[in-house]
Amino acid sequence: MKQLFIAFIVLTVALIGFSSYQALFVAPTEQTMGDVQRIFYYHVPSAWTAGVCFFVNFVASIAYLWKRNLGSDALAAASAEVGVMFCTIVLITGPIWARPVWGIWWTWDARLTTTLVLWLIYVSYLVLRRFSAGGQTQVLAAALAIFGFVDVPIVYMSIRWFRTQHPSPVMGGGENSGLDPAMLHAFFWNLLAFTCVGIVLMVIRYRLQRLEEQVEAAHAAVALQGGSQ
Amino acid sequence: MTGAVALKAAYIVTWVILLGYLGSLVGRFRRAREEMKDLKRGK
Repeated sequence: MKQLFIAFIVLTVALIGFSSYQALFVAPTEQTMGDVQRIFYYHVPSAWTAGVCFFVNFVASIAYLWKRNLGSDALAAASAEVGVMFCTIVLITGPIWARPVWGIWWTWDARLTTTLVLWLIYVSYLVLRRFSAGGQTQVLAAALAIFGFVDVPIVYMSIRWFRTQHPSPVMGGGENSGLDPAMLHAFFWNLLAFTCVGIVLMVIRYRLQRLEEQVEAAHAAVALQGGSQ
Repeated sequence: MTGAVALKAAYIVTWVILLGYLGSLVGRFRRAREEMKDLKRGK
């Protein structure tokens, strides 16, 4: 299993190299925006990966509430943290793109605001897990995750439901949407590479969570031994 | 900010965050393993 994971990491690193080359050198330069449009190849895959992580968190939280097994809880914790990290990338690369294109860093339109709310929901989830001392932390966190996930489809649909400053959907956005095939090629390679990075980070974070649980249990066992002597 | 500068900034920010997070995970892993070893030794 360990060797399989190492092979997956090697594949991911190769994918990162290839997809970055596609995004920066192979994909054609967009006519109106120029090179700054290439941020799209990092921004959108990061948003996608954050969505995947939050979906894993949602499913793992339901599984935990149902079966109460610690593996599901560890997966929920791992996926939320990795999702927040990718969502942070989205919230930083978006304004970096917006400044030269819109002339402003930020505007309170539906897509940007719902994405910021999403980030805040999952940051509060992590804060709850980190600082809540009661025995119900995992149950509360799972409940928050299930309600919090409601914002994910709202973020996705926001540019379809509302007239926003954010660009309209590039794919699945109607007759005038779509990408040049060379751009689409680069985009899908980056989507794949970022998804693989997300999986690698989730697996590492999951293993860390399980190890930390073992350390905590060992501390408790030592404390009990000390107390009984 | 020009487009080229913005592109470089976004690229650098993306990978600094990803690699920084990976580095923090590795550090936390190392600390947890050492703590586990110490507990097993009975310290």
